Amino acid sequence: MQKASFLRTAISAPEFGPFVLLVLELAVFYAINPEFLSVLNIGNTLTFTVELGLIALAMTLLMTAGEFDLSVGSLFGFAPVVMWTLFNAGWTSLGVAFVISLVIAALIGLVNGLFVTRLKIPSFLVTLGMLLVVRGTALFVTDGFPQRTWSASGQWIASLLVGDFYLGPLRVYASLFWFIAAAVILGYVLTQSKFGNWIQSTGGNPVAAQARGVHVSTVKVALFILTAVMSSFAGIISSIRTSAANPNSGSGYELEVIAMVVIGGTALTGGRGTILGTVLGILILRVMRNGIVLIGVPGLAYNIFIGAIILGMMALHSWLERRHQAGT
Amino acid sequence: MAEDLIRMERINKFFGRVQALDDVNFRVKRQEIVGLLGDNGAGKSTLIKVLSGALRVTSGDIYVRGKRVEMRSTTDAIAEGIETIYQDSALVTQLSIARNLFLGREPIRGPRFLNRMDSQRMDEVAGDLLRRVGIGKAIPASTPISSLSGGERQAVAIARAMYFDSDLIILDEPTNNLGVAETQGVLRFVRNARDSGHSCIFIAHNIHHVFQVVDRIVVMRRGKIVADDIDPKATSVAEVERVITGDLSSLAH
Repeated sequence: MQKASFLRTAISAPEFGPFVLLVLELAVFYAINPEFLSVLNIGNTLTFTVELGLIALAMTLLMTAGEFDLSVGSLFGFAPVVMWTLFNAGWTSLGVAFVISLVIAALIGLVNGLFVTRLKIPSFLVTLGMLLVVRGTALFVTDGFPQRTWSASGQWIASLLVGDFYLGPLRVYASLFWFIAAAVILGYVLTQSKFGNWIQSTGGNPVAAQARGVHVSTVKVALFILTAVMSSFAGIISSIRTSAANPNSGSGYELEVIAMVVIGGTALTGGRGTILGTVLGILILRVMRNGIVLIGVPGLAYNIFIGAIILGMMALHSWLERRHQAGT
Repeated sequence: MAEDLIRMERINKFFGRVQALDDVNFRVKRQEIVGLLGDNGAGKSTLIKVLSGALRVTSGDIYVRGKRVEMRSTTDAIAEGIETIYQDSALVTQLSIARNLFLGREPIRGPRFLNRMDSQRMDEVAGDLLRRVGIGKAIPASTPISSLSGGERQAVAIARAMYFDSDLIILDEPTNNLGVAETQGVLRFVRNARDSGHSCIFIAHNIHHVFQVVDRIVVMRRGKIVADDIDPKATSVAEVERVITGDLSSLAH
């Protein structure tokens, strides 16, 4: 009896669908090409997955509060450009440049948040505008050329962010631990903390939340700042690892990140979010990209599969929701 | 006679040139359930919104416990102990009963910087309150609002108002769209709230529901109060209906 009800709870959880999909994906790719689960491939897949994943984790909280941010991809490209430009010009040490670029990111997030909360402009329009401003600035500052980054080796901040080491035969970057730490902390914030209750109520019913004394605008602004800072942090990690600070990098990431979040079961309309689901959503999309190439499907066909996954998962979530409500 | 909890004096409210409230005087005593009746557009909602801080008066004074107060926002009203319960809008449907009860005032457990909600205490208090308000079956406090019926949602909102010691609970159409048994449940919650020391303003289109629960009936028509001391025990529903429609200018007592 106890077991049966545990199973029912597990199945009705929003993370169940994504979990099954991920297992299926792994099984199918492994069956077609056992190389897929080789240590080398797992290491390669994880490396970039966690960088994009950092953005998705922050976006989960923002979307739970009923907003989203299209400027994350442009910040992913912009922040490393700022950091390396400051450093290469000899103005500051790399550590200070790192802090300055995150502060600038926080200010950009603050502007996004204030436009949305004070001027009541939909976040779609505000962050679309910010995407163009930030990307344009990155291109203008660099004349469109990548910044030199090879001087990173030996810098303490580089090894702190992306230092690599081996777990047995598996090559792991420090960024994996940043990702795990972020997932644990944000998962705790969303489900256990008082602030998490405020995030969910802000997205679920802002009028009711405001009437109960929840500072709806402050919650939203804080989450816009968090998302901008995390996107920049991810961009900087990526730039150090690949030794490239390209002003164009990160294009299109905003949609992939939002897709990861909704596939995981977070509602696009706000009020309901899950960090565990987002972690599954991140893995589903990145494993798909990696597996498709590995089993010989042309990489250009990738988007067909991603689109199909999004549509399929949305159908599943809506079906589960209706079933859940009818059953009570 | 009990002291007035709420006194509204010479309240006027204009929307542009339209006068929604015309020199309204209104009072609620302690531990009293007042039924506020009137046809659509009579000014009931406007009066309630003024009292709950959702609208500001054009002129007039509001006294709570004899002290003059300014209602600038719903937060001001809640701070004065005035809680308004609308059909649905006061609850976050995605959150559990306990999380809704404590929304905005969640108790913290452990070190402050961890900001950790004391879920155990919230669940205990919520379960206790649901029993006190008189909800029939046992519903776990962790149930999300979205899986509750309309009557149970009203119970949660009333329980919240009782827990945070709201002196006045305003119920706007609490029995709308409810079945017979559910309606009886809500009426029982309202009586329980009064018996534990709270005052209520009860607004409903269904006069029979109002008659079952209130101590005194106030009728509004075209922004004015046309009767403010109808005793439901000494008056018939038909008479009150005629006051509402204007066939009877007022009731003499």
